[in-house]
Amino acid sequence: MRSGNLLIVKRAVTGLLKNPWGFISGLGMSLFFLAVYSAGIGGIGFLPQFENGGYTAFILPLIIISLSIGSTGSAGQALNRDIQSGYFYRLYLTPVLRITFVAAPVMADMISMAVGTSIILIIGFFLKVPFAFGFLSFAGVVILAMLLAVALSGISAGLTVLTENLQAAQITGVVVFSMMFLSTTFLPFDMITSSWMKMTARINPLTYILEGMRFLLAGSSYIYFISGFMISLLLALISLVFAYNCTRKSLM
Amino acid sequence: MESIITVSELTKRYRDGTEALKKISLDIPHGSRFVLLGPNGAGKTTLVRILSTLSKETSGDVLIGGEKKNQSASLIRKKIGVALQSLTLAPEATPLELLVFQGGLFGIAESKAGEKALSLINRFGLEKFRDKKIRNLSGGNKRRIHIALALVHDPSILFLDEPTVGMDPEGRYGFWSEMKRLNTEKQMTLFMTTQYLEEAQKNSDIMAVILDGEIVFSGKVSDFISLNSGKEGSGNSLLTLEEGYLNFIEEIRQRSGL
Repeated sequence: MRSGNLLIVKRAVTGLLKNPWGFISGLGMSLFFLAVYSAGIGGIGFLPQFENGGYTAFILPLIIISLSIGSTGSAGQALNRDIQSGYFYRLYLTPVLRITFVAAPVMADMISMAVGTSIILIIGFFLKVPFAFGFLSFAGVVILAMLLAVALSGISAGLTVLTENLQAAQITGVVVFSMMFLSTTFLPFDMITSSWMKMTARINPLTYILEGMRFLLAGSSYIYFISGFMISLLLALISLVFAYNCTRKSLM
Repeated sequence: MESIITVSELTKRYRDGTEALKKISLDIPHGSRFVLLGPNGAGKTTLVRILSTLSKETSGDVLIGGEKKNQSASLIRKKIGVALQSLTLAPEATPLELLVFQGGLFGIAESKAGEKALSLINRFGLEKFRDKKIRNLSGGNKRRIHIALALVHDPSILFLDEPTVGMDPEGRYGFWSEMKRLNTEKQMTLFMTTQYLEEAQKNSDIMAVILDGEIVFSGKVSDFISLNSGKEGSGNSLLTLEEGYLNFIEEIRQRSGL
């Protein structure tokens, strides 16, 4: 029943193309953050803590993570629409693999995130972000962003299916938004003065994803890239397993 | 006649402890028109959801079209068509789009699914609405599309949970004619639940009555009517399923003190 699974994926991607407003507003908000942060605190980019990349290379990963909040809610919304209309049950009655109904909108969110991240990186290129490893930096950041999208979108989709309530799924965005500010968001480790904030940043998985992207863009420590990649991969896998289990448990 | 649905000792217990189905056993022959009757909350929809692979049973065995439900749910889904009580439609699609898409989900090639969709649109009298968004259609027309969707892949068993709710008399007549055609021409087994007992009497040959999660009668419709007509001393001879059913339920409730 491969064609059925492909149709579900196609429907999810087409749904996103037909209703791109979530993506557009998410991207718009991220670009607004980029403009405001660069203009407001970009002047400290000359400090040695920002190494060779300058402040734009430092802040760009944060802009990408903020994009993930806006770009990964579509899966939950699409599933919620199908659940509310009852169409989700119709889909369940077909021989298509049940995981596909959750994985397809997650995949659509992942594609949307890849497109948004590419746009932000192209803008970064024109803002003289160094891209320490050339095209590999570009591809690496996009991959990290896609993994992050799967992690967030999968949890959101799983919660929507499990609770049949979109509000429950929106918790993901709130959690990521809070975690974003408990990290090396605006300043590197060395410049964070509060010890509790330093500690929180160290245990915050987003820190490693942020720093991983910073390594790719500005060539900081590669340790962060490895841990950032491993963490985002692990989160994506956990999220997919969670979504799968939610699908199995739903409609019991 | 060979059984197409066999249910043995089926129990469904919800997490809160409610026992919706209590060791139900049923045998439905291939090509029959079976109707499940019972008051609201008796367990009819729960049984349909379990047999149609939407819900899991707590215990018991279900065999559909020769496949064990707990081992081959996906194979069973290819053999059955389901029209649940609540509508299951994508409101932003048109009937034609949705029917073609539904065919695709069952692995039917687009051109063939298109032909099948058009034939169903004609049979269900939806020609005028085929390219209109479903959300703009009347309840009765939505119900027709809902049922047509269950037929795209030519199932051998059709589950219909309260299928004619919201349909006008003309729509009902057309619907039952189509069901009769599918049953006689294609030997499609029909498993229905309804509260319209006149329709049940006209359009089914075997039946069961479920009460508080238990099957309290199972057999031929004609046998049920004769068994429950002309109660001793009452002096009247009941002729309809509705009268017989009401009499039967009342008697059972009196007997069990409910």
